[in-house]
Amino acid sequence: MLHKTCFTALLMLAATLLHAQEIDLNKMLEEEQKKEDQKKTNYTEATFKTTRIINGHSIENIAPGIMDFKISHRFGTVNGGVYDLFGLDNASMRMGFDFGITPRFMVGVGRSTFQKQFDGFLKYKILRQSSGYKTMPISMAFITSAMVTTLKITDPSPYYFSNRLQFAHQLLIARKFSEGTSIQITPTLIHYNYVPLATDPNDLLAIGIGGRQKIWPRVSVNAEYYYLVPGYSFAGTTNSFSMGVDLETGGHVFQLHFTNSRGMTERTFITETTGKWSKGDIFFGFNISRVFSLKKKPKK
Amino acid sequence: MKVLLLIFMSCCLSAAVVQHGIYTSNNGTVNFRSEAPFELINATSKEMKGAVDISKNNFAFRIRIRSFEGFNSPLQREHFNENYMESEKYPEATFSGKIIETINYEQKGKYTIRAKGILTIHGVEQERIIKSEMELTGKSILISSSFTVLLSDHQIPIPRVVKEKLANEIKVDIKTELLPK
Repeated sequence: MLHKTCFTALLMLAATLLHAQEIDLNKMLEEEQKKEDQKKTNYTEATFKTTRIINGHSIENIAPGIMDFKISHRFGTVNGGVYDLFGLDNASMRMGFDFGITPRFMVGVGRSTFQKQFDGFLKYKILRQSSGYKTMPISMAFITSAMVTTLKITDPSPYYFSNRLQFAHQLLIARKFSEGTSIQITPTLIHYNYVPLATDPNDLLAIGIGGRQKIWPRVSVNAEYYYLVPGYSFAGTTNSFSMGVDLETGGHVFQLHFTNSRGMTERTFITETTGKWSKGDIFFGFNISRVFSLKKKPKK
Repeated sequence: MKVLLLIFMSCCLSAAVVQHGIYTSNNGTVNFRSEAPFELINATSKEMKGAVDISKNNFAFRIRIRSFEGFNSPLQREHFNENYMESEKYPEATFSGKIIETINYEQKGKYTIRAKGILTIHGVEQERIIKSEMELTGKSILISSSFTVLLSDHQIPIPRVVKEKLANEIKVDIKTELLPK
């Protein structure tokens, strides 16, 4: 009896000492954090730096209450030589205003000097890539945009305003594979209300692929390619390919790039690209994005 | 027999003390401010985890960088995570070590203490002694502290273009109530 009590007491003492030694506060908190993280859903942020990869839309949305003012320039072709100062003499411009309405929904309007176009779009994020409690391998968004050409009509056929309209519908499917690498696939349907030739299709199909590779914390390299589906494209057009860099400084994002497309609206760069990289029909261009907060900051 | 009973009881007691020797919290507040000439940046998280082992007088704190909210715009928050803190690579900041003063934890009251330990932010370790206020209420331990962190100490560079908008010296306030585990 006596021995038993003694033994139990010693055992408890040993257990207590062991217990006291084993506790590492840091590890304890780390384990708690891990448990908590499993119950949380982490939504992937910054798949791309801005709402455009280069010419086309990226999966990114603008946060609600934020306006993104975009100025984009495309200079002339670099094969113009010294006479055109490698294209810098001929600039075409688009300015755009994009607004975030909800975390998933944004709208935008723009005006291009090229073909005197107005354009507007609606963009809705359907799926958000996430890890943790809810796992989703990809992000997905739908964009529908409308473009109006306001050039003077020289065509003698009867005039209808609807003839000036084109529409683009795009499904954006993107995944951020790692901290620095993101890929997006963009099936696109473009509809022309009016096409110049009876043999031209009204509905055109293309598949876009774009990617981003971060090389420094504030610099990434982007590329974008739109493949026109044979039989659903205009004669004499070619696939659009662009590559460039994103530079970020505070509230600005500068995108500098080379592309064989002159236009900056979906129909002009996806379906009406005629420039060929092999012939040096390359346009230097840039987009500048500057965000403004439209909401008043809460007072502290 | 009496002696044995005493040993037995003391063991039970010590077991009780050890088990109740750890105070924890997982909703501590951390606030930081950057007061640069052209911009004031302010962000807060209420997810700081903390633990104090009163039997050994040591402590540990931990905070997820992505849990900070506030900032002047959502884009600024993104930049904070993407470019400055690199939250994907270094998801947490930690501070753990020992309290220099010996404290009688049974005595209620306010104490000014010095916490000596390793502060890890952005994956860079710094040995720091941080002055804190500790209040023992009998049921819980209240800890509050104000200190500064230099971005240059933790290899967080400030790009030239934002030099006037981001201070190198970041003011940090923490506040938490630790309860027995």
